Amino acid sequence: MTGRRTLDVSGLPPYDISNQSPLFWGQVLMCLIEGSLLCMLIATYFYLRLGVDVWPAPGVHLPSLTGPTVALIPLLASCVGSYLASEAAKKDSRGGMLLGLGLNLGLAMIFLVLRAIEWNSLNFTWASDAHGSIFWTILFLHSYDILADVLMTAVLLVIVASGHCGPRQRIGVHVDSVLWYFLVGIWIPLYGVIYWAPRLIGGSR
Amino acid sequence: MTPVASQPHVYADLDVLRRTWSSRPGLLGWLSEINHKAIGRRYILTAFIFLLLGGIEALLMRLQLAKPENTFLAAARYNQIFTLHGTTMMFLFAVPVMEGMGIYLVPLMVGTRNVAFPRLNAFGYWMYLAGGLFIYGCAFFGMIPDAGWFAYPPLSGPQFSPGKGVDVWAQMITFTEVSALCVAVELIVTILKMRAPGMSLNRMPTFCWSMLVQSFMIIFAMPAVMIASTVFLLNDRTLGTHFVNPAEGGDPLLYQHVFWFFGHPEVYIIFLPALGIVSSILETHTRRQIFGYPALVLSLVGNGFIAFGLWVHHMFATGLPQIGEAYFTAASMMIAITSGVQIFCWLATLWTGRLRPTAAVHFVFGFIFIFVMGGMTGVMLASIPLDLQTHDTFFVVAHFHYVLIGGALFPLFGGFHYWFPKFTGRLIDETLGKLSFWILFVGFNLTFFPMHWLGIVGMTRRVYTYVPGLGWEHANLLATIGAFVILSGGLVFIVNVLRSRRSGPRAGSDPWDASTLEWETTSPPPPYNFPNLPVVPTRTPLWTPSAERAIVTGLREDRREILITSVLDAQPHHRSVQPRPSIWPMLTALGFSVGLAGSIFAFYWYYVASVLGMVGLIGWFWPERPLEVKP
Repeated sequence: MTGRRTLDVSGLPPYDISNQSPLFWGQVLMCLIEGSLLCMLIATYFYLRLGVDVWPAPGVHLPSLTGPTVALIPLLASCVGSYLASEAAKKDSRGGMLLGLGLNLGLAMIFLVLRAIEWNSLNFTWASDAHGSIFWTILFLHSYDILADVLMTAVLLVIVASGHCGPRQRIGVHVDSVLWYFLVGIWIPLYGVIYWAPRLIGGSR
Repeated sequence: MTPVASQPHVYADLDVLRRTWSSRPGLLGWLSEINHKAIGRRYILTAFIFLLLGGIEALLMRLQLAKPENTFLAAARYNQIFTLHGTTMMFLFAVPVMEGMGIYLVPLMVGTRNVAFPRLNAFGYWMYLAGGLFIYGCAFFGMIPDAGWFAYPPLSGPQFSPGKGVDVWAQMITFTEVSALCVAVELIVTILKMRAPGMSLNRMPTFCWSMLVQSFMIIFAMPAVMIASTVFLLNDRTLGTHFVNPAEGGDPLLYQHVFWFFGHPEVYIIFLPALGIVSSILETHTRRQIFGYPALVLSLVGNGFIAFGLWVHHMFATGLPQIGEAYFTAASMMIAITSGVQIFCWLATLWTGRLRPTAAVHFVFGFIFIFVMGGMTGVMLASIPLDLQTHDTFFVVAHFHYVLIGGALFPLFGGFHYWFPKFTGRLIDETLGKLSFWILFVGFNLTFFPMHWLGIVGMTRRVYTYVPGLGWEHANLLATIGAFVILSGGLVFIVNVLRSRRSGPRAGSDPWDASTLEWETTSPPPPYNFPNLPVVPTRTPLWTPSAERAIVTGLREDRREILITSVLDAQPHHRSVQPRPSIWPMLTALGFSVGLAGSIFAFYWYYVASVLGMVGLIGWFWPERPLEVKP
């Protein structure tokens, strides 16, 4: 055996907090899965729209544009927190990670409160008609995703704050930001579909 | 990085490696298992148990149809049995068994120590197992689905399918799809980021290519079925949404569109790994590089794309606009091009190679014969006028059994014979293997060939009986006899596996003189797969003289360190440490399972699933000691 040539990799870094990390790739694929799910719901929205003459059904008040549009501000701003956290993770700055994660969490909480207020102001349910079904499905699934990521971010914050900030946690912070960008990014078309589409292609056909 | 001349002391310390990569002992260790070979074996074994269950259901159906006006099964029971048969074979056998082969073989073939996300891998298996136990467990409480394996509304809707059977079916889909998605993610990352140095994409084994394409198909197809089964069907049934209720603006056809947007790629999700298996067997057993490697790989990728443009050919009888249907006819026929390219590549390989006719090769020949026949009826069915005549008849049943059994089961059995020495360390008996092949081959054609004719003369599928005097008696009896011939072939296979596993001759690391990396390590492979990770200089590394092949040194052995390489050229990029075994993936799967199972009764169980799942995930991700991964 001693005759074999060798490729010595001991000089390579023992971890890498970047888009070369397997966890980053895993996270991107998870986003692809969630993205194809939500794209399918967008297709469903327009399929159902084409099947009826009046959209939404008579008696349904369209959700107000103001609330969800205002809620975009904290949502988009929260990406700054994610960005700061992931940059801090790359530079191994614990303070920076805490700041970024905290900023992200705070703004995300404001967004969730605004969404909860809007949620309670709707005058139709998922059982009202097909419009209600698809509207609530999109709203519920996205809220669920956001809530799940907010909880995970909170857990990460606790982990980092309690002194665990080795490479594995720092990669976690980095990919958590990737997921958050995705959840914010995918909301823009979803927001367009459920709030603007019924105004543009709604009413009677 | 370029390999350099060696120093003797760099070889791995096998004792340390074994200690680092071994699983924990005892029951707790068994539940915490995260080694890809153990999880792969569990997938394969569990799937074969479901194959037996699905097979028993098939035999019950054939017994009922053996003679006209038979009273062996009542109509309602027959509906339940064909639903369970289809559901079991598609969701609990065919996809998981291919995933199991991929999980076991891909890390060995690309030359690494484990899959990219070992804990996710374990979680996926437990979800799959829970889904299978859920649907069969509910059967004991009379909650048996009976609306067919694709559960079309309005038949499957709240009005015509009261009871919980269809709900169980719909939620079982979620379990198996979550499992398939987990496997897809980890296989893609394993293939793209963990290949041995030097294994650029154009040196990757065809089986890995087929698993890569299949995994991407899972990622784009599986979300659709979760929408169809859970969002549309289950929510309409339990929450009162109106997705498929035309009275409130919904549309039952929407369900069909979304279901088949998944359902057609699903066939290729099952079939693509089989193509990879066939290429692997042929390359080894003709002792030449597979003919037309670039064409084969491009055809696999092409199959993956075209498969998403075919779904409406399942819906030709629904009255969709004909101009749209014509597009799907053309697309359906196009798949014959990519499939044909592969068939011709294999024929050329056979023609120019020196063939060794082992049992595995027998199964490959069976595959080519049966699959080409199924492919030809497929081209026929792509034509709308013919499809309208034979829609929902036994002609379709014959077609998809030729494609699925011929296209997936025969290659799988061939692959099982081929890799059996690697799995177990022992050779499988060739004579019994060939015997089981011939019995299965004859039995298969005896069962399903008459169904072509039955369908053409008008026997519809899913009927529990028929009246005498239609001339269907002989063909049906023949099919029933054939089903029992298949059973005896299966029994020979099982006997062969059990016997060879116990007392077959020792195989050694490479009994076939094969070309790919899984044959470099011992059989069965040690927990760490390779003492030193290999460096790959050619597409057939084991046929390259070992003096020209280098090995990787410098990976730490006292922790689970792996090598991450670049996507296209597999240049070493960094080292990475994998997590240790953990019970949390199993507990997380248990938490989700309890909640999902409850959700068919009340919505709040989704919250239970979320809370338990969240607790599980926190345990899973909580940092291990030692706190820091030091360089």
